[in-house]
Amino acid sequence: MTTTTARTVRVSGSGRAPARRRRVHGRDLVGAALSLPALLLFAFFAIYPGLRVFYLSLFDYSLTAPPEFVGLDNFRFLAEDPRFRQAVLNSVFYTVGTYLPALALALALAVALRRKTRGLGWVRLLYFLPVATSWVAISVVWRLVLHPDGLLNETFHLDVNWLTSSSTARWALVIMGIWKETGFFLILFLAGLARMPEEVHEAALVDGANPWQRFWRVTFPLLKPITAICSVIAVIRGFQAFSPQVVLTGGAFDTEVVNLFVYKTAFESARMGRASAVAVLMFALLIAVTLVQLRVFRRTDT
Amino acid sequence: MTTHRHRRRFMAFVLAAAVAGTGALAACGGDDEGGDGNVTLTFWTHTHPPMIELNKTLIAEYQSKNPNVKIEYQQVPNTEFATKMLTSLSTGAGPDIINMDDNALRGEYFPKRLLSPVDPAGFGKSSVAEVEAEYVPGTLDGAKDAEGKLYGVPSEFNGTAFAINTKHFKDAGLDPATPPKTWQEVIDYGKKLNAAGHKQAFNFLYLHSGWYNQWFQTLANQTGGSILSADGKTAALNSPGSKKALELWVELARTSGIADPKTSSRDATAPYQDLASGTQSMAIVYPWSMDQIKESNPETYKDLAVVPLPQADATAQPVSRVYGYFWAVNAASKRKAEAWKFIAYLASARDRWLTDVSFVQPVKGWDTSAAAKQIPFIDVIAQAYANGRYDQVGPHWNEVQDTIHKAVDQAVFDGKPVDQVLNEANEAVQRSIGS
Repeated sequence: MTTTTARTVRVSGSGRAPARRRRVHGRDLVGAALSLPALLLFAFFAIYPGLRVFYLSLFDYSLTAPPEFVGLDNFRFLAEDPRFRQAVLNSVFYTVGTYLPALALALALAVALRRKTRGLGWVRLLYFLPVATSWVAISVVWRLVLHPDGLLNETFHLDVNWLTSSSTARWALVIMGIWKETGFFLILFLAGLARMPEEVHEAALVDGANPWQRFWRVTFPLLKPITAICSVIAVIRGFQAFSPQVVLTGGAFDTEVVNLFVYKTAFESARMGRASAVAVLMFALLIAVTLVQLRVFRRTDT
Repeated sequence: MTTHRHRRRFMAFVLAAAVAGTGALAACGGDDEGGDGNVTLTFWTHTHPPMIELNKTLIAEYQSKNPNVKIEYQQVPNTEFATKMLTSLSTGAGPDIINMDDNALRGEYFPKRLLSPVDPAGFGKSSVAEVEAEYVPGTLDGAKDAEGKLYGVPSEFNGTAFAINTKHFKDAGLDPATPPKTWQEVIDYGKKLNAAGHKQAFNFLYLHSGWYNQWFQTLANQTGGSILSADGKTAALNSPGSKKALELWVELARTSGIADPKTSSRDATAPYQDLASGTQSMAIVYPWSMDQIKESNPETYKDLAVVPLPQADATAQPVSRVYGYFWAVNAASKRKAEAWKFIAYLASARDRWLTDVSFVQPVKGWDTSAAAKQIPFIDVIAQAYANGRYDQVGPHWNEVQDTIHKAVDQAVFDGKPVDQVLNEANEAVQRSIGS
């Protein structure tokens, strides 16, 4: 334990060197010029559309006629729209239902897989394979898995209509989501555990801590920064869900999530202003949730 | 040495700037129209294999007769066809020539002024009236806007009929020569088919919102229901006729037990899989459905018979549903005259559309032509046209179709009361058309 404290002190005690004005070299200019294409593309395809969404949210715009300023009408409509309300609830259900278990499972697996054992690399690879596969490809495969006569029902001797009932379709998406996303967080937790000094565990062992105590008193607190990042990413990924809902249910049976609602509003109904208003609301919601998460996970050891 | 290094840095800077410039230019794109008299036309359709084949053949013929014209033909998967086409045309892009159904044309394309009116010169006529005079009266209504202006000619005109598997009927001791005339008879026959081991006696196709909407309107036509009021300004899903239509759907699909809708194939890229594979005994069909089954499952096709669409009330005048796909020209096209000439060529191959793809071009006398006489069941299809009517369409129709989709799912799959789901749907439709 002493070692950790000493390290912490040394790291936090190392102050920043006084700022010095640095000369701009020709090499810097070349670097800047080389990065210009990427920056231009990013500005044109990401920053500009992002800012335009805020602007369009105040207009009635159908793509074919000039935008007409409507003030906050789009937001007022959404506040009273049962379909939008349901889409938000569906997104919350999918996010919590998928990512809470996925995070817990990933953490448990990371602790189990951190030991260097023969063949463990392959096991880790297996967990990561779903992450590296596209959502669409996986969703197509899971459509077969979730068929009434599919793998899931056959394996567990179930008689569940996973994709054609409002009571089960949302759970089907959650099950598939957990399977797909656990590997992503597993890799992050494994990276966090790899950076953790072995001495702290040895010290806890010497102090007589059992495995449960070592996890809760040593491992979990030291993984707090990684857990914070994972939870922020989880919420963002959850609210950005789109492809599995499109492929598996098309948004039917109470699985129309916010992104799918935005897509349909914008491109099927050509209501760009209203779709932009939803995007603005989601942006604000995600910023707020992220700030709350970072506050909850705020470091208390400094 | 220092000068050399500076020069090298300068050259590197210039190179980097050039790369940046190229990237920016690449993002802008350009117009590929040449000034040498050559014309390139772009043409998009949905995916229906027999149709694609004939389109390719006709394109090759047209290009060989018109060496200065090149047709770039693209097929868009059915699941993304509507969205991709509407978005591309709305942004001033998209193909020169589109092939689209009348629901989308009247619901989205005409109100948004995305299409160019028919150019009679392309057909070698001096007026649109002359073009119209070739077609059976009323069949072009699906391509006319509220003012009656014509925007396209039909690539296919579909009437609704009913297919029965005669082998299944014989298995159940039923006479294929006396097919069901009412939906109640469909249920009665279905129970006998079930008893003979054919568990999927009758199913609707639950593919996407457009399909849900077409089934609903097929039934509502017969029960006196509608989605909107006659003036199109208010939702009418809670009317007695609309309620009867959904109750009939629920009875056919759920309460009668003659099939399990949950096991129905839901792959929009290949409709009618269950009927084609011989799993399903009865289905609502269109002329093209039969042609598709003939190609994919010729063995099952031999056992199928096409009969008139069952009715809700045997004593009432039969009512059917018609719809059409139309060739039309993008309002943003810079090659409209050439596009209409090509469309006129496609439309002139009416006999081949009928014999090769079972697409009816509803020109006067089509049903007595030599090509029509080669098509089995054509008398049934012709009868369906005679008592058919186009779907009701209103503003923001995609949202309305989504609402119908949800209401049917709730009533048929979740078992919610018809009254409740239709009242909720009625409010949703009113919100869509009123905002």
